[in-house]
Order: sequence, then structure tokens, then C-alpha cells
Amino acid sequence: MASSTEGPPSDAFTRRQAMVAHEMSRRSMLRLGLAGLGGVGLASLLAACGGGASSSGASGATAPPKPGGALTLVRSQDSVDFDKTMVFSNASIWVYNQIFEGLTIGSADGHNVEPWLAESWTQSDDRLTWTFKLKQGVKFSNGTPMTSADVKFSLDEASGTTGGWEFINSAIDTVTTPDPATIVIKTKYPWAPLLADLACPSNGIIPVNYGGKAKKDFYTAPVGTGPFAWDTWQKGNSLTLKKNASYWRPGLPYLDSVTWQVIPDDNTRNVMIQGGTAQINENPPFSTVDQLKGVPNVTVTLFPSTRTDYILMNEQRPPYNDVHVRRAISYAIDREALVKAVLFGNGTPGNSLFMPTVPYYDKNTPGQTFDMAKAKSEMALSSVPTGFTTTYLASSGDSTDAAIAQVLQASLKQLGITMNISNSDPSAVHDMQNKLNYEISHSYWTMDINDPDELVQFAVLPSGGGHSFNTSYNSSQAQDLATQAQKTFDPAQRQQIYSQLQALLAEDAFLPTLFYQPFPYAMRSNVQGFSVKPTGLYDMATVSLA
Amino acid sequence: MNQVLYILRRLVTLIPVLLGISVLVFFLIQLVPGDPAVTLLGSHVTDAGVAALHQQLGLDQPLWRQYVTFLGRLLHGNLGESYQYKSSVSALVLQNVVPTVWLIVTGALFAVLISVPLAVWAASRRGGAADNAIRSIPLVGLGMPAFWLGIMLVLLLSLKAQLFPASGFGTGFVGHVESIILPALTVALALVPILVRSLRAGLLDVLQSDYITTAHSKGLGTPRVVLGHALRNAAVSSITVLGVNIAYLIGSTIVVERVFALNGIGYLMLTAILNRDFPIVQGVTLVFAVMVVTVNLLTDLAHAALDPRVRLA
Repeated sequence: MASSTEGPPSDAFTRRQAMVAHEMSRRSMLRLGLAGLGGVGLASLLAACGGGASSSGASGATAPPKPGGALTLVRSQDSVDFDKTMVFSNASIWVYNQIFEGLTIGSADGHNVEPWLAESWTQSDDRLTWTFKLKQGVKFSNGTPMTSADVKFSLDEASGTTGGWEFINSAIDTVTTPDPATIVIKTKYPWAPLLADLACPSNGIIPVNYGGKAKKDFYTAPVGTGPFAWDTWQKGNSLTLKKNASYWRPGLPYLDSVTWQVIPDDNTRNVMIQGGTAQINENPPFSTVDQLKGVPNVTVTLFPSTRTDYILMNEQRPPYNDVHVRRAISYAIDREALVKAVLFGNGTPGNSLFMPTVPYYDKNTPGQTFDMAKAKSEMALSSVPTGFTTTYLASSGDSTDAAIAQVLQASLKQLGITMNISNSDPSAVHDMQNKLNYEISHSYWTMDINDPDELVQFAVLPSGGGHSFNTSYNSSQAQDLATQAQKTFDPAQRQQIYSQLQALLAEDAFLPTLFYQPFPYAMRSNVQGFSVKPTGLYDMATVSLA
Repeated sequence: MNQVLYILRRLVTLIPVLLGISVLVFFLIQLVPGDPAVTLLGSHVTDAGVAALHQQLGLDQPLWRQYVTFLGRLLHGNLGESYQYKSSVSALVLQNVVPTVWLIVTGALFAVLISVPLAVWAASRRGGAADNAIRSIPLVGLGMPAFWLGIMLVLLLSLKAQLFPASGFGTGFVGHVESIILPALTVALALVPILVRSLRAGLLDVLQSDYITTAHSKGLGTPRVVLGHALRNAAVSSITVLGVNIAYLIGSTIVVERVFALNGIGYLMLTAILNRDFPIVQGVTLVFAVMVVTVNLLTDLAHAALDPRVRLA
């Protein structure tokens, strides 16, 4: 088990770096004395102690990737469980995605689906039957070759759960295996998102009958066709995967092992990247991004993501059932100010339920933008023209939520709305939102597949089980458009339907979009080939250490 | 023999204490809003999913029955299964308790190693410059929050001087020792001012007693008088102070563990509370309770060993 104090020898904290750190920390101490000991002061101190004004080391030199080495990635939360059909934690999914692979894969830009373990497919004329040809020569990390029996078992497993990811496969009727290299999927109705659904991490391929093990034992040490294989997991501490020597992509993976280490403290993670005891920091806070950019041998990359933040308004609680009230509130949100305050400028204001990183996003969606005059005229049209009193449900300890609540509180005051802020811890907030036991609050979404249908189901369709993103919004027009889009295969037609839907949802102001934000990652500059898709998934096979 | 009986009796009284704590913890955590199933299901939570998970985790049972199940398991030494990790709580606690125990033991050790010489020095120079300095300077340590002090130590001794690792628990015994020094120092510096003051006061008190005068008049040198005769008696009250503070410290290791990325049971507890992983919260609380009771017991034993007038009964 690699520990935090060990780094690969090539990346050790050298004497020279230490000298720079020494010089800077002395200066920082003086600054600290002046700045007081606020949280931001402390963060800047830690970030600054690594280096001075020199720009980050020139990375991306085009040397061929060097095989070997152990990479340590630090993150704030541990994985929880590896049952791919049941677990929703990103911290788990991003790890098991190195072990399990799907028939298809989402493209890097988030807009397409590409062949992966299936090398080609055809579709019947009635659009109900899909025939997939499997890639030959793919083996599980335990040495057994992958066949259609494994695929059928995996897809059936992912469809058959309760309270898990089965909603992704809800359109699948049957999966059959005419021969070891062919898989046939019949859908209950024409289903456009199928290829994207098959790339969902829950549809990763595992050995038939769990390779002869009990289900629980299998997921304690899972086996897949991916570039890395299970090694060790010290729960609450660190998890290591080792290279799958019989991986099917030639020459990959480069690394011998990858370790995900749990370091809950933001400052400690940054220190470890600066000191070189870790190579990738999965969650540098936005408040430290600028300072980290100035540290030698550290690069910060903002990967475009599907993370989108929304204001929730519970339409079961008047006056939020009044569209004018919702629009007035949406107009009153200064989204530019929020991007500055919450993301330190690292994001863009949102205009649609969809995000620019999913297919069929329409940049012309008429989402409300900050305009107090319009907000006031909407209020005048509403059932409560003189305002009302309401309570914002905020997650305690969440600086994003605190900033949103404060900005909103100030804006709504101008509309005569008195907004009180009630803090609960994140689990309680989530629970109260789900039980529709709140008035106004904040939440976010990240996509798991390269198709907007996953979000649309949850936010619009009653069958999605999400109470319209916990707002109880109910529009038959929106529901019609959503189901129509699921059956439409022609991209141009589908775009038209989704554009209509986005416009409708924006005008109903049912879930005002706040902003689109990237995934920030801080890395040592010797890390090459690391990139994150808009879904948050990353492929460690192509990563190497220079 | 008497002592062994005493220890056994104390251990038996642990049972009602733990039982009481288990009742408190079990029912208190139910008062906190937040459903474990909703938390586990994340942003994709649906009513069907919550119902299925409730059934799987046994949360659909009435509360009293859940408690009976919990107690039944506990009697078999089974702390149950974590909701989030789907694995045994006992194994998780055992794995994570090691750094916490290291932290508490070395922290206490450092506190004693620093405090005793300082207190002796201060008491033997009563009212002098050294006495005043020793009484006032360590107070700064008391005023500094552990997260800040910890970060400062990392900055100075780890990033700058490169003497110790900045975080983690290292590998092997030597690795553990290297890694524990800074966190233990952070813990110790908060204890030192309290210990120094109490020990100094005890020493001054004792130094005025008749037997010290006798010792002096026998012609013994001051070091011999202070270390050989006075310290032992003066330490009695300080031992109690140390014991109480260590018991208090056990609950507050969470902050130090977090700063130094020592993933001990404090960290386990924190994430379990946030994720409503009730079995872990209950398990760790019981472990904390055992630790506090053990420290109190050790304090009493040390007290008795130092002062023959104290009878263990």
C-alpha cells in the first residue's frame, strides 16, 4: 500500500524546490501577519509557499509516454462500494470505470457515442432490434476471454435491480446471444438514447455469473476487461489498482499502479501536490485555483463538465406554483456575480436546463438573465405583488450554498420578498428536498451518459421518479416533448424537439439554472495524458509520468 | 491481587456505561433529519429506490426492533455492517483505530516530556524571569486552534525544513514514528500549558512542606530534593489533570487527524455522520467510550501507585 509519504523517486521534492519553498514561506509569513488568519488568507499562504511569480513549468513536451511508475491521486472523499448496478457515488464510479468497460463509450467532448467493446452495430427497420458485433481478443483481467454470455449477464444484471441504475435500461426488453461474438438487444419501443445508455458505467461488462463467485464477494474484488485490475483497498484511506497486463489496447496502460488517496482537508491536498507526494488533486477548491497556477511544476486544468447548479422552488408551496413568482425570482438572480463569488470566475452563467456539454443543448434558450426591472414587473403580475416571506434551505458548511443564499437574499429584498436562511447539514437538506419539505433551495446535476434523456427523465417525467427534480413541476406539454424526443432518431428532428422543450422549461422558470462550472484538477507537470470527460469519467490507461 | 480485582470490577462497571451510551447514540442519531437511503442514492433518488434500500438495510422496521437487533449483534461482538461500505464495522474500526491510538499516546507522552522539565524549572525559580516566561509563553499554544497550529508546523518543519512528512501515517514502524511527530506535537502543545501550571502549583505547594525542609537540612542538594522527593507528590494532582484532558482530547482528535491526513477513527466518524452511516457512528462512539473509560482507569491506577494513601476499592 503506497502511503502519502512515498512518491515515485523521479518526482521527489528536490532540494532546490525546498529552497524556493523556504524563501516563499518566509515572505508569506509576513503577508499572513498582515492578512489576518481568515480561511482565504490561509489558503493563499499555502498556495504561495510553493513558489513565486515564475509561471508553471512547461508541460506537454512531446516526448513519447514512458511506461511504468505509480501515480497517486488525492481526493476529498473515499469510494464507498463497487456494485456498479447500485452505487451512485462519483468517487466510486470514477475508480471502477478503470476496471469495467462498456459496449460503447462516450466521446471526449460529451456529444457523441463511440464503439468500444462492441466494434459495430446495426439496427432493424422497425428500430426495435439492435445487433452488436463484439470486439475479438478481449480478455478479463483474470485471463478468461469475454463473450456474448458475459455481456448478456452484465446487461441483465444492470436492468434487474430495484432502486439502482435499472432506470437507464428501462427501454430494454430482451438481450439474446445468437453466437459468442454477437449480442441482440430488443427494446420495448423505439429508443434513441440506447447507445448512450450502453456507455453508462452501470452497464460495464463483468464475467458471467460473477466468474463463479457470490455477488458480494465479486464486488469486493471486482474483475473486468479494463486497463487496471483490483489490488487493495484500505477503507477510508486509500485504494490501489494495478496494471492489467493482458489489456487489449496495445501498449496500455502505461502506469504500473494508480492509488486514490483520501485527504479530506483542502489545504493538505494542495500541500501534497506542491510537495510532490501526490501527482493529481481531484478537488482543488476554486478559491485556490489561481494561486495553484503560480506554483512551479504544478498545472491546473479546468475540464468542461456537465455539472450544473439550479435553484429549486417547491411548487407544492404557494406562491411557488405561480409562474410569475418563479420568473421574478429567476430574473432577480445575478448569475454573473455568483460566478465571480462562488467559482472565482471559473464558469459561465446558465440559460437552459441542459448544459453546453450535452448533445442538443440550445444556446439560444431564453433563460432569464439578471434584470431587476423585468423581475419587478413579473412580481406585479403575480398573486403576491407586494412580496412574501420565505425560507431558503441551505447546506451548512457549503460555501457555494452560503454564497448563493446571500446573493439571493439581497436581490429578493428588492422584490419585497423576505428570505430567511435555514441551515441543515447536507444529508438533511438532501432528504428534505426529496420529501418536498422545503420552500426554496439549491441543487446540482452531473450527467452519466452523453444524452440529455437521463436528466430530462428525472426533471420532467413522472415515471423518472424524481418529482420533477423535487419541485413537483407538472407540465403535460413538457412531458409530451420529452417522450417524443426519446423515440426520435433523426438528430435534426431531435434537436428541434429538445430546443422546444428547453424554451418551454425556461419560460416556466421551473428550475432556474445558475451556472455551468468546470471540473478543476491540479496536477504535477510530469503527469501526461490525463483528461476528464464532461461526465467526470477519466481514462487512466493513457496517463503516464514523465 | 487487590489491584487485579479492582481492575476487573472497573471493567464490569463498563458494561452499564456502554449500554447507556448505546441507547443514547442509537436514539439521538435518529433525531437528526436525513435518511441514510436518500443520502446513499445521491442525486438519482427515487421513492422506489428509497423503499428498496430501507428494506435491505432493515430501516423499515420499527425503531425498538432495530435497537434490539443492534443490541443482539453487539452481544455477539458484532457492530453490524456499514451502510456505505457494505462491510463489517468492526473491521473498519480496527483498521482505522491504529493512527488514533498512536496520536493520543504519543501526544500525551510529548506533553509530559515537555511539561515536567518546564514545571520543575519554573518552580525552582519561583517569581523569576524563567518562571514568568514558562507560565505565560505556553499559553499561546492553548490559544492557537489545532488546525492552524498544525498547518504552521507543516509549513515550518515539513515544507521548509523537510524534517518530517507533511501528512499521512507512513509505512512500517519508522514511517509511523516519523509521521506521528508533528500531529502529536500539535496535540501536546495544547496540553502543555495546562500541565505546566498544575504541576508547578503542585510543586510549589509541596516545596513548602516540612519534609522538604527536613530533606534540605539533611544536606541534600536541591535537584535531589525536587526530583527525588517533591516531584512524586506534586505529580498526583497533575496526573488527574492529564487524565481528564486526554479523555477530552480523544473526542477532539478529529481536527488534528484531518489536518495531517491521518485517517483514524475520528475521520471515519465524521464521514459516517455526514453520510448517516449509523452503524459506524454507533461503533466508533462505543470505541471512544471504551477509550475514555480506559484512560480514567489508568489515571486512577497511576494515582494509587504514586500515593499509597489512595486505596483502590
